[in-house]
Amino acid sequence: MINPDAELILEISDLHASVDDQPILKGVDLKIHAGEIHAVMGRNGSGKSTLSKVLAGHPSYKVSKGKVLFRGEDLLVLEPEVRARIGVFLGFQYPVEIPGVSNLEFLRVSTNSRRKQLEVEELDPFAFEELVRSRLNLLQMDPIFLERSVNEGFSGGEKKRNEILQMALLEPIFSILDETDSGLDIDALRIVAAGVNELSKKETAILLITHYQRLLNEITPDYVHVMGFGKILRTGGSELALELEKSGYEWLEEESVSPLRP
Amino acid sequence: MVRRRICIAFKAVSMSFHDSKWFNSLPTPKGDLEKIQRRGREYLDLIGMPKKSDEAWRFTDLSRLSSLFNLPFLLNNPTNKIRKNIPLPSSKFEGFQLVISPGFDPLESVDLPDGFTQLSTAELDGILGRTIDKCSCNDEWLVAVNNSCTYRVLGLRINGDNLPPLELVLDSREDAFVATRIVLIVESKTKFDLFQVLLGKNNSAHSHLLEMHIGSDACVNHGWLARGTKESGYFATLAIEQDIRSQYAFSSVQEGWSFGRLEQKIVQESGYASTALRGLQVSKGKEQIVNNSTIRFDGPEGVLDQLQKAIAVDYSHSIFNGSIEVPRIAQRTSASQLSRNLLLSKHARIDTKPQLKIVADDVKCTHGATVSQLQEEQVFYMLSRGISHEDAMRLLLKGYCEEIVRTLPVSGSRWGVLSNLLEGV
Amino acid sequence: MTSSNLLGELVSKPYKYGFVTDIETEKISKGLTEDVIRLISSKKQEPEFLLNFRLKAYKQWLKMQEPDWAELGYPKVNYQDIIYYAAPKQNQKKASLDEVDPKLLETFDKLGIPLSEQKRLSNVAVDAVFDSVSIATTYKEQLAEHGVIFCSISEAVNEYPELVERYLGTVVPCNDNFFAALNSAVFSDGSFVYIPKGIECPMELSSYFRINSGDIGQFERTLIIAEDRASVSYLEGCTAPMFDTNTLHAAVVELIALEDSSIKYSTVQNWYSGNEEGVGGIYNFVTKRGQCRGARSKISWSQVETGSAITWKYPSCILQGEGSVGEFYSVALTNNLQKADTGTKMVHIGADTKSTIVSKGISAGKSRNSYRGLVQMGPKASGARNYSQCDSMLIGDQASANTYPYIRSQQSMASIEHEASTCRISEDQLFYLQSRGIGFEEAVSMMVSGFCRDVFNQLPMEFAAEADKLLALKLEGSVG
Repeated sequence: MINPDAELILEISDLHASVDDQPILKGVDLKIHAGEIHAVMGRNGSGKSTLSKVLAGHPSYKVSKGKVLFRGEDLLVLEPEVRARIGVFLGFQYPVEIPGVSNLEFLRVSTNSRRKQLEVEELDPFAFEELVRSRLNLLQMDPIFLERSVNEGFSGGEKKRNEILQMALLEPIFSILDETDSGLDIDALRIVAAGVNELSKKETAILLITHYQRLLNEITPDYVHVMGFGKILRTGGSELALELEKSGYEWLEEESVSPLRP
Repeated sequence: MVRRRICIAFKAVSMSFHDSKWFNSLPTPKGDLEKIQRRGREYLDLIGMPKKSDEAWRFTDLSRLSSLFNLPFLLNNPTNKIRKNIPLPSSKFEGFQLVISPGFDPLESVDLPDGFTQLSTAELDGILGRTIDKCSCNDEWLVAVNNSCTYRVLGLRINGDNLPPLELVLDSREDAFVATRIVLIVESKTKFDLFQVLLGKNNSAHSHLLEMHIGSDACVNHGWLARGTKESGYFATLAIEQDIRSQYAFSSVQEGWSFGRLEQKIVQESGYASTALRGLQVSKGKEQIVNNSTIRFDGPEGVLDQLQKAIAVDYSHSIFNGSIEVPRIAQRTSASQLSRNLLLSKHARIDTKPQLKIVADDVKCTHGATVSQLQEEQVFYMLSRGISHEDAMRLLLKGYCEEIVRTLPVSGSRWGVLSNLLEGV
Repeated sequence: MTSSNLLGELVSKPYKYGFVTDIETEKISKGLTEDVIRLISSKKQEPEFLLNFRLKAYKQWLKMQEPDWAELGYPKVNYQDIIYYAAPKQNQKKASLDEVDPKLLETFDKLGIPLSEQKRLSNVAVDAVFDSVSIATTYKEQLAEHGVIFCSISEAVNEYPELVERYLGTVVPCNDNFFAALNSAVFSDGSFVYIPKGIECPMELSSYFRINSGDIGQFERTLIIAEDRASVSYLEGCTAPMFDTNTLHAAVVELIALEDSSIKYSTVQNWYSGNEEGVGGIYNFVTKRGQCRGARSKISWSQVETGSAITWKYPSCILQGEGSVGEFYSVALTNNLQKADTGTKMVHIGADTKSTIVSKGISAGKSRNSYRGLVQMGPKASGARNYSQCDSMLIGDQASANTYPYIRSQQSMASIEHEASTCRISEDQLFYLQSRGIGFEEAVSMMVSGFCRDVFNQLPMEFAAEADKLLALKLEGSVG
């Protein structure tokens, strides 16, 4: 939903970042307003996941240049937990397993930390369980999930649904969903997409990172960006994704590189 | 010249041992157990104190060990009545509790429930030391120490499948060295929960020796909580003999000892048995906590599943040695051992040494060890959900401990194990 | 016949390097005294510092006791019944290969190490050591153009005494252990490599050790120095004839890596291992240690150990320089009554140091194969990491595989990860391969070779094939 008067949620300018001294992002510019859904596409190694990790504040990713403003505030100086509390959410591509830590307790502590930030009353275990059960329905998840350890022994699809469950609980302003579609069968994909659509509101924004068109069939983006060589090579509407599906990334990459070639 | 120097060194070591308050306060060997007492002392005479060059004592703080022997031995004599002062949990317990405390006969004015009978002196005479022999640990220093001061033995025969859980509380005394010894004969097909709690007192030492024979098809769930305080020390040897098709699950938690050492010796004597070992050792301050386990498979198709965890903070030192022996007869053994260690402070130390000795060829054995901080990815995942660093650490540590603590037998929960553990970490 | 019987047969193949070269040898008389050391030193016309080094080591050695902690259980070696110096009779070192006794050249030809100009391996420089002396070094001049020194250690002692004096015994002190002390006192020859600053050695360097005489001890000494930003790959190979007495081999190898340099040291060890009854064979008691002195330096050990009656060997890395890297890749195959106790020590001293250990042990027959290793994180090794993987494969029900990984950490910001497994070639796997038309022997060989793949991948290309062949040979010639 494009509304030029809507609040500017995220503003990335000339972002450079590296991992293990390997430069990955080489000047990313992106503006995201409230109500918008953006999709970032590109092949493996194009820097999509790095962008998501940098936005969430992963310590292994070092920003060497550029700025990221979240609702006008410098995001990069904030600790990862603070980013989460003020409403930045990353749905991980590979959610880590944490044996021994109860999923329910993890979800409660997490939710309450966000509520505290929003100055909403924190929930006791009983109230929280009620809330979490209502959200489980949204994702058609079995309550048995809550009894288990965080992501431990979850299938790929279960892990992704657990991510969306967290999104539903934290009610973020800005969500990044990193390859949320990978490892999902078509039914699970529909459930997850329905969940995301349900959670998408006019005051929030979503950045989808994906390889494939199939998620975009379920969640229609307002903008599609193609990444390559650590930059955004091209921006278009949802039709760009369809074009990519048909002809691949090569033409775009060549187009962007050829002027540089001798 | 070289030889003379060695002689002097040897003398010096044994001298200090003979000079120890413990040794000098031992009563003269006498009674039904005289043979055992003499045997222990003769061995100690021969060997003296453990030396750094002994593989089994390489990492041990030996000065701390010898300081425990400067406490006078307190004979566990029922006529020598002293007021009980044991911090037992107040919550109700659906089982049967025995308290071994210096000065008390644990069975005095106690009605043993159905299925439990006391071993007679004649029976004990035939049984005592048998499991230790089977586990080939007669020549272990700690066993000899306990032999030297074996004046009373609690011996029980256990039979049945609808038994109340048994909680055995082993108490220590301030400023004294106490020794306890237990023999349990678990009859064939018996199902039985045992929870042992060993409590330290300030400036106390406790030597414990358990022999348990688990009959065929029997199933024992054994918990061990060793909780020390300030300057307390303990060392225990748990010798377990498993008959064919028996199941033995053991979970241990050790914490709070200035010097703590748990030796587990397990033999699956005829195979087809299963053993599950879970252990957690938490060391803080300047504590040194050791857990050694040895399991030998003397028959085919045995199973071992072992997970040992340690957390070391402050200036403490945590040690684990896990030995697995699979001789030729033990075909189709399946054994897995994992040692996971968290080293959380700059000055803490962890030593871990798995040992696999395998001769049979048709076996599946795996072992692994890690020493690290809490995993960065896990911490980050939590931070990214808005949880503070402190809370993330607390949750992760709790989860880390919980994995072991939840395997303690039921009565473990009333001892508040988890909350106690995380205090001050 | 059950598959384990077949396997048992497969692994018992004759040793093909067991011939003796009939050549006149100059030997000194048996036994070890101070005079013997002076004699060795004077025969080699050594400078005084080296004689002093030897004498100091000898005095230390007299005070030391032979270790027995590895429980290797071998009969006591009589150190007075060993000849400490033997050399094929020829006048001094030859200026050119043409002057080398043709019998010697033929020997190395037979071993697959041709030395003559026409036949020698391209792109590999070889230093060939026969009993106690180096008889030839190929490609010396070509290497010299790059400033690379590759020669026998005796030559280095005379031609580059200042380098030898500066580095010898600095990684393995002469009193390090019983066998290192013995080696320091009596070492005869070995290789010396010096790579100057910024030079990447243009070819593989290789030493080939051949024990020919039955009653001598072989004590070679290797010293490799890589200056700042230098790099080198070095390979050592060894064989010995079949004698029914045991021969002692106590080598010392020292590696020194300075800033940003890298040394890769590979060994294919195929000393005679004794017969099926365990008679004869080499006692291989060696001390190999590398020191990463400079920041970001790297030392990588790879070894394929198939021979010797007893092997006692722990190529180690002292990771001193910040960000330095140590690696150990090992395949040890034991058969009959062989005993191998091998592994590594990774001592992390500097911050951000990294080490990797991959060990594959295969035990067959009644042999004993042990991995023994130490990973130590010192108080200053913040950010250090280690990953170890030790796998054992058992063939037959009388072989044993032991694993003793010592792990010791004094640094909370370091991480250590150790994994180990024991397996055997399962009948199901064999059947699966056979049902796809693969012969039994080939299936076994494929599985063993697959089991060792991670290590073979680390060997220099020229030798990876050789190692594979060696294993296949030990496991019957189905591949080669």
